[in-house]
Amino acid sequence: MQRPNRREPVVDVALPGDAVLVSGPVERARALRRLRVRDAAFRHLTRLAAGAVLAILGGIVVALVQGAWPAFSRFGFDFLITESWNPVTEKFGAIAPIYGTVVTSFIAMVVAVPVGLFIALFLTELCPRWLRRPIGIAIELLAGIPSIIYGIWGLFVFAPFLQQYVQPVIIDLFGGVPLLSTLFAGPPYGIGLLTAGLILAIMILPFITSISRDVFDAVPSVLKEAAYGIGCTTWEVMWHVVLPYARVGVIGGVMLGLGRALGETMAVTFVIGNAHRIAGSIFAPGTTISATIANEFTEAVGDLYTSALIALGLILFVITFVVLALARYLLMRLNARVGG
Amino acid sequence: MTVATYTTPMTAAAVGIPAGLREKISIRNLDFFYGEHRALKNISVPLYHGKVTAFIGPSGCGKSTLLRVLNRMYDLYPNQRAVGKVTLDDEDILSPAQDLNLLRAKVGMVFQKPTPFPMSIYENIAFGIRLYERLPKSELDSKVEQALIRAALWDEVKDKLHASGLSLSGGQQQRLCIARTVAVRPEVILFDEPCSALDPISTAKIEELIDELKDDYTIAIVTHNMQQAARVSDFTAFMYLGELIEFGETTRLFTSPSDPRTQDYITGRFG
Amino acid sequence: MALYHVRRRRNRIALGLAVAATGFGLAWLIIILGVLLWEGLSGLSLAVFTRMTPPPGSAGGLLNPIVGSLILTFLAILIGTPIGILAGTYMAEYGRYSRLTSVVRFINDILLSAPSIVIGLFVYEVMVARMGHFSGWAGAAALAVIVIPVVVRTTEDMLTLVPDTLREAAASIGLPRSLMITKVAYRAARAGMITGVLLAIARISGETAPLLFTALNNQFWSVDMNGPIASLPVVIFQFALSPYHDWQRLAWTGALIITMAVLALSILARLLAAQRRAS
Repeated sequence: MQRPNRREPVVDVALPGDAVLVSGPVERARALRRLRVRDAAFRHLTRLAAGAVLAILGGIVVALVQGAWPAFSRFGFDFLITESWNPVTEKFGAIAPIYGTVVTSFIAMVVAVPVGLFIALFLTELCPRWLRRPIGIAIELLAGIPSIIYGIWGLFVFAPFLQQYVQPVIIDLFGGVPLLSTLFAGPPYGIGLLTAGLILAIMILPFITSISRDVFDAVPSVLKEAAYGIGCTTWEVMWHVVLPYARVGVIGGVMLGLGRALGETMAVTFVIGNAHRIAGSIFAPGTTISATIANEFTEAVGDLYTSALIALGLILFVITFVVLALARYLLMRLNARVGG
Repeated sequence: MTVATYTTPMTAAAVGIPAGLREKISIRNLDFFYGEHRALKNISVPLYHGKVTAFIGPSGCGKSTLLRVLNRMYDLYPNQRAVGKVTLDDEDILSPAQDLNLLRAKVGMVFQKPTPFPMSIYENIAFGIRLYERLPKSELDSKVEQALIRAALWDEVKDKLHASGLSLSGGQQQRLCIARTVAVRPEVILFDEPCSALDPISTAKIEELIDELKDDYTIAIVTHNMQQAARVSDFTAFMYLGELIEFGETTRLFTSPSDPRTQDYITGRFG
Repeated sequence: MALYHVRRRRNRIALGLAVAATGFGLAWLIIILGVLLWEGLSGLSLAVFTRMTPPPGSAGGLLNPIVGSLILTFLAILIGTPIGILAGTYMAEYGRYSRLTSVVRFINDILLSAPSIVIGLFVYEVMVARMGHFSGWAGAAALAVIVIPVVVRTTEDMLTLVPDTLREAAASIGLPRSLMITKVAYRAARAGMITGVLLAIARISGETAPLLFTALNNQFWSVDMNGPIASLPVVIFQFALSPYHDWQRLAWTGALIITMAVLALSILARLLAAQRRAS
């Protein structure tokens, strides 16, 4: 038994049997060298995968710009401000779908933000502890329901309901009032901008709620206790202490919800009506960027038509990218503050 | 075989150390930095083969940091670096060319909190063995058994080897970690406050174990518990604010410390 | 004392609104699920799972879209999960402190909520336009692009939760980094990572928009991934918007099947996560 190493086999005394089989360090170094190749391969593989995430984003941008190029070079800046969308004369403009996207998202935010904040208030301040988790989960399950379900439900249940019971009442109510009578001008189609916006509101409610709840929870309890200590009511603590403290995070959550609303496709496509025009009334049918693409892309004949649709996709991507990037930036800033 | 006689440069501390000891690890003029912060200042200290060396001192004195230099554990994190000379036998531990995995296989470590891997008791130990050798099942079994016997855990777990390592009690988990360390056949074992999370009975068992292990391994233990240092160690190093204040035989250091700060610490005047 | 009463009243109103808002939110969940059960259950029969999609006016089932969806989902997970796990591993392990990681995290978060229809356009441009025809592969690729960010995110989060002491313990017996990750860290984070994959499945099984112009649809039985392939969401879309009553019935039934599958997956994921917390 030769031992090339001068070290005495202390350990082999501890573990009898080793001395006979293995010559210790040399064998071990060889085993490790073998592993080192695998080690490096694995490390590079993970790096490559991380790079793939960047490549996907890069790929999306390149593919969309390339696809949109014919439309942009043909219409130039006018594409952004033209209302006409005529496949026959091949005259395309993006303003109607952009308008629809913005209006439906705006309606969604107007409804979902206050409701979401109030739910978060309920969950953090009022709700009995044992009820917090079930309700939280239920709200988050809303987020898990696929958007196509909202679409089919909106088309067959929600839109007829609005058409029959809600829209006529509102039209009657505001009929004589200037401005409002335009905003709520009939006839009650059921489908349209308002319906789409409301369904979007239900869809993004869970996002806003869960992020707001998380940032409310992150408010240091000493701050709240101090306010309660000087006799503030729950609402005053909320309004004067929690909200200002959590402002950045709430805005981040709201932007995240907005990003979702802007890009949501299926729920909207079912109930928007797919009309390429800008109407003053929010009861009127309209279209959004995503709905236009979903409805027309497979039927688009001609390269220019396809290109115009991809150009719409690019516009949507740029808008949501900005909104989401801003949201992430705000949430990151919040995390940095809470963490630091 | 290099059986070095005692040649530490610290003349004051050297008083009363018997000759005939071999320096297993030798630390010379070691500085350690967390970013800009200098956590260790010019540390020179030997670890003798077959002896237990305890590092004591108030928390934040750098004793754990020192331990983590010896197996280059700090390499897992950015912005931490060691400057100086640390050798294991004659091999430069701090050399950039040092194979870290090989080094760590030679210099094992037991941590403050028991850290069993999320796998069965058997796997916890077999895992490290399999890393270096392919063995038939029966031999692997016997090695696992040997390691568990060595860590005084065999009798308690032999009937549930395939239960999760996390199902054991804290003290048992810590002995499992010792068994895991021993199974890789290290030459040096570092204990980083191994008992601070354990109850007195488990602590006694671990201390007993350390005493048994020292015949075969070079052992360093960091502890904030001076009684423990006095009980288990042959040599003690007292550290304070990143400096090594005094190093010497445990009995001598605890009975007649030469530095007033050591005196203050072991009599409980600060820390 | 008048001011005090005003304050108290304001408080009571606000709290009342909070309760009302919560009821409002929960009501939608109940209404939607209720309608879905009502409309979907009536059409649910064995035929749904054994027969092909019918032409309008005759009886049939959803067998081909169900199988198509299963294949697409399976392939998307098969492609997306390894990439996602590896990328998340880089971010939590090798590159935890690197600049690349923060960039990837930022981009990944954006991909996580990017409009799925845009992803459909991307895959159309890259695969469908180039190959000259719609295909199941393109559909699977589009879904994989959605899977990746979900898995990246959960993998990174779960690995970050693995205590450093465990990594140090692994390092202390000389484990090379790759084994420390694959054998120890993955094992410790396993439940969370599986949760992530389940959530990804839940997410893509209802996705419609990215399939519209990648996998397209197929009226007939086909498992040829090189050609158009039916999927449940796209069939629901097509049938629901059709004027035929029996197609609309099938759409509702399909919607019920998808929703139940998705809810089951997310509840399973939650249970798994809760179990991990408990242990």
